[in-house]
Amino acid sequence: MSGYTGKILFVDLTQEKIVERDTVKYMEFLGGRGIATKIIYEFGSDTLVFMTGPLTGFISSGSRMDVVSFRNMLVGSNVGGEFPTFLKFAGYDGIVLIGRSEKPAILQIDDDGVSLESVEDLWGKDAFETIDLLTHGQRDIKVAAIGRGGEKGIKTAGIMFSHRNLASRGGLGAIMGSKNLKAIVVHTTNGLEPYNPPELMKVITDIQRSITKSGEFMRFKDWHVNFVPTILKLKMPYFGDYERTWEEAEEAAMNAKEFFEKHTSKRASCFSCPLRCWAIVNYEGEYPINLCQGTFPAITFTLKVKDPELAWKIYLKMQKEGLDIMSTVAVIAYASHLGKVKLGSEEILDFIDKIVNRVGEGDIFAEGIKKAEEHFGVPAVYVKGGMESWSSDIRPFVGSALISTVADSEGVNRALYGFPEFYYYIKKEQAEKMARMFVGEKNAAYPWDYSDAKVKFAVMWENMHIIADSLGVCVIALLTTPLELWCRAYYAITGNRITPSDLIHYAEKIRTLERVVNIEYGGVKDEISPRLFKGEVGLDREKLERMKKKYYELRGWNENGIPMSETLERYDLR
Amino acid sequence: MRYIGDIMPYLIVHEDKCVGCHTCEMVCSLSHEGVINLNLSRIHVVGYKGEKFPIMCLQCEDAPCELVCPMEAIYKEGDIRYVDGEKCIRCKMCSLVCPIGGVIYDAINHKMLRCDLCGGDPQCAKYCPMEAIEVVEEVPERRKKGVRVLYGEED
Repeated sequence: MSGYTGKILFVDLTQEKIVERDTVKYMEFLGGRGIATKIIYEFGSDTLVFMTGPLTGFISSGSRMDVVSFRNMLVGSNVGGEFPTFLKFAGYDGIVLIGRSEKPAILQIDDDGVSLESVEDLWGKDAFETIDLLTHGQRDIKVAAIGRGGEKGIKTAGIMFSHRNLASRGGLGAIMGSKNLKAIVVHTTNGLEPYNPPELMKVITDIQRSITKSGEFMRFKDWHVNFVPTILKLKMPYFGDYERTWEEAEEAAMNAKEFFEKHTSKRASCFSCPLRCWAIVNYEGEYPINLCQGTFPAITFTLKVKDPELAWKIYLKMQKEGLDIMSTVAVIAYASHLGKVKLGSEEILDFIDKIVNRVGEGDIFAEGIKKAEEHFGVPAVYVKGGMESWSSDIRPFVGSALISTVADSEGVNRALYGFPEFYYYIKKEQAEKMARMFVGEKNAAYPWDYSDAKVKFAVMWENMHIIADSLGVCVIALLTTPLELWCRAYYAITGNRITPSDLIHYAEKIRTLERVVNIEYGGVKDEISPRLFKGEVGLDREKLERMKKKYYELRGWNENGIPMSETLERYDLR
Repeated sequence: MRYIGDIMPYLIVHEDKCVGCHTCEMVCSLSHEGVINLNLSRIHVVGYKGEKFPIMCLQCEDAPCELVCPMEAIYKEGDIRYVDGEKCIRCKMCSLVCPIGGVIYDAINHKMLRCDLCGGDPQCAKYCPMEAIEVVEEVPERRKKGVRVLYGEED
């Protein structure tokens, strides 16, 4: 069947054995996140899966891949750029890594075959150096690599994809590092064949039109200079848990705006995507670096860095070491609360070195915020499974708190990107309109709303993410465009008909499978740190518990969050 | 063949607008070959990391590809140059002399590929979401001498 390449690469690093398996067997889980979760269920928790979707490489904004693994619970991240498309060009729907290589190795995929190569000289190099050395400046070689953070098993380390995209959340880099795999290199001259090329051209026209007419497309037009001040207005919990306000925030935001006005040379997109959500920043002889507009504000506000040049240095440092900025920032903010590092100062750079090299107490912080809390005994903010919370805190946003409590594979990023409660304070009408449209209740958009409607809203939003992550489409784009159009794309690409309600069925099935995997291998409770219920901005524990129960009910799980047998039957998960 | 009025369109690239999404390459290979393969695209997005922009055949006057071809396989129809597959011996001299990589060799189907302006309706320009590729009727003077400018023979 077109759309899927039909082959998944299984690499047993311990035995240095590489085999191909048919994708067909897994197609009932759609692709990406769905298939990856199924593979982890089948092959156990010592598995790191990179999985594209049927739309990856074929359609506008369809250059995504899901990276999923298992720590104490499922961890996953969705990543774009060009690697996912090129992996499919090379003939593989995904890569499954099992076991551990004896010596540092890279996985080399090219038109002549697949091999594991020993690369001890690359071990110890940062992510950018590694990618430069492996690509030799060639545009058609794509690399996924870990930095020193991943090598040293830093729990906030991610996987870097060709100078830009990071599969950041959940410590996926540490997992790749524990397998002694430094990088995956894809080099191919091949391509992909859709089922119906002329029809696909038509669908691309329609999807492009839909995306470029959207508010997201308009917003990203000058987002690269406006994002820091805008995020300030959203009243997001960027100042972290320990000091909830920062007098100099406004000034810092304006400094950042000025900095990016001056140093942004261009805009950039992932493969086939019109959204151009990246900005290319040229600053002080460093080669152009892509700016992620979601994470930079965390450095500015949570770490209280008024000087954008310093913020940029911190940003670069974390990128090079291959660290997830959101989580690492949360760890540093906690460390500063303990008096270990001074926020807003150059000390932060040294502190990152301490974490990455596990020097002194850096060794404790390298294990993540929950472990640090256990060591120091001072309460910290974290979400389910002990993961650092996205943007350091979740409190003013109840939907976000709910999802962070129940999510089986990372909370906010994988369920609630663009959830209307986030922009309630700057675009109330729009947020309420969305809530009315989805659940017929405008209050569901209100950040402090604990109603059943909010739960329903969050469930639906989570479904959209699962659909996007499984089809191989960027969720930002998916949300701008009706599901019918993505179904048309699916048909033009694969030759198989699919309907929006089929997609939702897939999403519900995959979500329940995630829960099954976590019960089977993890048993992590649906809880967030007690600190989030304290203080004047504390969450209401009882109300949140009630929301949890409602969430379980909507998912067809029992009151303890365990999928009921009829639910498992409905989704063929028995 | 579809012309704009009576004039054959030309393509102009606004490299500052390009976001490097490769959509032009995607639709070029899709519309010509029915597949998505950057190596079968007649337009190429160049640039390694950071800034990128597309290049394609400039349809130059005094085109070196045409001059160098030992088989005289490159011919003009209207204002567009094509390769006569019967005459072409795949020596790739055209590809070698073109300073911008406007002619490429398709190793799968063993033929030379070059921009044919989609017969007057260039798909790359149509699908570029940033309007970085523009279809113009009037060919700029410098553009006509494209290759000479690139070789430094003209300023």
